[in-house]
Amino acid sequence: MDDFLKWLMGGAGAGLLGQAYSQLGNVGQQGLSYGQQLANLQQQQAAFRPYTITTPTGAMFTASAPAPTPVGVGAQGFFVDPLAGSGQEGGQQDYIDPDFDQEMLKSSHPSRNMAQADMSDPLPMRPEGAFDPTMAAPQPAEFGMQLSPQEQQFYQNMFGGAGQFFQQAAMPTADRESSIYERMRALSAPEEELERQNLEQRLAAQGRLGMQTAQFGGAPEQLAMSRAQQQAQQSQKLAAIQQAQAEQAQQAALGQQYLGAAYIPQAQMLNALTPGMTAAGQAQQAQLYGTGLFGEAAASGLDMLLATALGRANLAGSLGGGLLGGALGIDLKDII
Amino acid sequence: MAQQLRNINLVAPAFKGINTEDSPIAQDPSFAEVADNAVIDKRGRIAARKGYSVSTTDKTALGSGSIRAIEEFKEAGANKIFSVGNNKVFSGVTTLVDETPAGYTINNDNWKIVSFNDNLYFFQDSQEPLVYSNAFEVVTVDSTTGFVVDETITGGTSSATATIKSVHSSTELYIEQTRDGTFTASETLTGGTSSTTATFSSISTGSVLKMSDVTGATTDVANIPKGNEVIGAYGRLWTADTSTNTSTVYWSDLLIGQNWTGGTSGSINISKVWPDGYDEIVALAAHNGFLIIFGKHSIVVYQGAEAPATNLMLADTVAGVGCVDRDTVQHTGTDVIFLSNTGLRSFSRTIQEKSMPISTLSKTITKDIISLTQNESSFFRSVFSPEENFYLLTFVGQQTTYCFDVRGTLEDGSFRVTRWPGSSYTAYDRAEDGTLYIGNSDGICQYTGYSDNSVKYRFKYYSPSLTFGDPTRLKLVKKIKPTLVGSNNASAFIYFGYDFETTYRATEFSIGNQTPAYFDVNEFGANSSPLSEFTGGELTTQKNLNATGNGATVVVGLETDINGFALSLQEINVQALLGKTV
Repeated sequence: MDDFLKWLMGGAGAGLLGQAYSQLGNVGQQGLSYGQQLANLQQQQAAFRPYTITTPTGAMFTASAPAPTPVGVGAQGFFVDPLAGSGQEGGQQDYIDPDFDQEMLKSSHPSRNMAQADMSDPLPMRPEGAFDPTMAAPQPAEFGMQLSPQEQQFYQNMFGGAGQFFQQAAMPTADRESSIYERMRALSAPEEELERQNLEQRLAAQGRLGMQTAQFGGAPEQLAMSRAQQQAQQSQKLAAIQQAQAEQAQQAALGQQYLGAAYIPQAQMLNALTPGMTAAGQAQQAQLYGTGLFGEAAASGLDMLLATALGRANLAGSLGGGLLGGALGIDLKDII
Repeated sequence: MAQQLRNINLVAPAFKGINTEDSPIAQDPSFAEVADNAVIDKRGRIAARKGYSVSTTDKTALGSGSIRAIEEFKEAGANKIFSVGNNKVFSGVTTLVDETPAGYTINNDNWKIVSFNDNLYFFQDSQEPLVYSNAFEVVTVDSTTGFVVDETITGGTSSATATIKSVHSSTELYIEQTRDGTFTASETLTGGTSSTTATFSSISTGSVLKMSDVTGATTDVANIPKGNEVIGAYGRLWTADTSTNTSTVYWSDLLIGQNWTGGTSGSINISKVWPDGYDEIVALAAHNGFLIIFGKHSIVVYQGAEAPATNLMLADTVAGVGCVDRDTVQHTGTDVIFLSNTGLRSFSRTIQEKSMPISTLSKTITKDIISLTQNESSFFRSVFSPEENFYLLTFVGQQTTYCFDVRGTLEDGSFRVTRWPGSSYTAYDRAEDGTLYIGNSDGICQYTGYSDNSVKYRFKYYSPSLTFGDPTRLKLVKKIKPTLVGSNNASAFIYFGYDFETTYRATEFSIGNQTPAYFDVNEFGANSSPLSEFTGGELTTQKNLNATGNGATVVVGLETDINGFALSLQEINVQALLGKTV
């Protein structure tokens, strides 16, 4: 009887040990599953929220949510397509070390293991349908800026004007010098003609109109006038050169000014972006904080659940070990 | 009862010269209707002019031509007479030495010669001007063949050098004060370029060169104005009236008469200044600080000619009066006399007002002088002689000379004028010593003596028509009493006519003789007594000649041949009876 009892006790103890062992394995699987679910949920909760900033003048800044990034297995290992999330192999990809425990990763992949896991007690906070398990990693967010039509017109005008000014500044000044000189000559020519006529009349009255001299060519007065007019023309030529160069510099400066003005709408929009981004950042920070709180709370429940399961397994193990040790007359603790 | 004779005393007849303009009846008896070969002498009487004496003894170079211009080259102690004629340039008076530059062809003898700054300049239309200077030396060698212009000749013995300006003849080389050293007789001269050699013979100073050959000259002959008129004034030569331009006056560089393109030379075209719109320059004159430009029928006066390039300025214009010919312009010191189409005129000199009133000097013969001017087909010549106090104007083609006495003017401003008909003078020049040179076909003559190279000439005087104060009554001339001074042994004729007839009645008489007595010379030959006697100074002849006929007006004339002695007409008394009224 004693033997039977011992056998029976040994058998019960072994069964309890096996159950405890099995329960311990299930506890791990459940912990992993719940952790993954919690991570996915928190990832979703912490995901970027698109927003748009619109300035009073109509310019808009748009920050769109990143597209989900598919996770696939390529010939060279897993990759995450940072651009399209198509999961195609090849191209510029970020590869995961192929020596990594692929089984573990396979088992950890939600698409393959979630269904197999014992999800009899799923986490209640997971929103139904809000989580796409294929979105393992977020794609880069897209930011867009758009000016209002008026600003865009202004920008285009300014940019076109800047181009014209720079183009004019890059042109040779000879033609402009000539043009300015001709205009200056056109202004001074009537006066010079008047002076010439006055001199002609004066010389005629003095009977000196037909004078030719070796010293002066004509009459000294004619030479003086010719010299003065030549000097005036030379001065006008010099002034025309200086004016053309000044205009060239002015064109370049205007080009600079136009170019700078062309970016004013964008700059003003960027300026307006700062407070918008601050507000969005604050909202994101609050979101992340809530997500953290949620994670901590969920993790504490999960810890308690795992601790309970672990205690149950330990209890069953201790009972099974006692029964088995009693049947065998040994203390398993000494062995283990 | 016998009627008293009415006397007209013609004291110093023709004292006012010829007057053919006023009515003969109303004329002052002091005028003359005719005063040929006469001048107004120092006492204000009408007198016979002087004749000319030919000084030239060798006129071979002149040939059959006439002297057309005479000019004295004036340089201290080296004055020299130059003349032109027969398309040549001559120097000398007794012998006309051909000074024409070698290789220079003269086509006309209408030269105007001016002395300026130790040079003598010859200008005429279409000819490169010529220049004479004592500085232009002539080297005589045995042969000039082979020498070239502008090469240096060097004396083999003396080592003296000179630059050839032109090869004048087969034995003469012109150098222009380029000589460095003195050539020695019979040494060999070697040309630096041609290597030609010649034996030096002698060197003489002074020669005539083409203007372009002169140092400092405008080298391009085309740029040298070839004016027909030239004057030296205000430190420059002034020329005008070229064959292609008759409206431009050219002036040379200061004191360099051969430089027309450099320095302070220049020109002025006055085609737009003529007061009549168009004219042609005929003559130039410098007077009273002005440059006077004579056109044919207008005059333009410029001031500031001292610095023409800067100060030359129109001062005045005269329309309607011009100058007939450049050779009629003469300076008298106070006036510039010139012949216009309407007679002899002058610009007077006024220093204070700086104006130049123009006056007419030939009002008493206006029609005559206009006629002569219009009919003159040859050329004009004139001269002013302060020693003789006259201005001579010769119409060469008509062989008529008017003599204007410049000592004073009549009430109307005219000069007293007499006429020298038959005068064949073709050139004049008054030399620095007062000698009046006359050029003609005989060569160069001097205005001296009382015969035309030993040929007598006729002195004529005719009074205007005399009315004895009553032109309505007949005059019966009874006596004519001339008083003559001088003219030994001459036969004189008193003419008288009536009522404007041109046929006269004549009375001949002889002028007395006066043999001059000389100291220590017997009057009647050797050993005669007395040895000599004093002469009475001027021979005075008074005659009392009977006259016949009658008329309302009376003309009295006197003619005599002048042949070696001076003659003055002191007075003529005409005594007549007054008859009935006609």
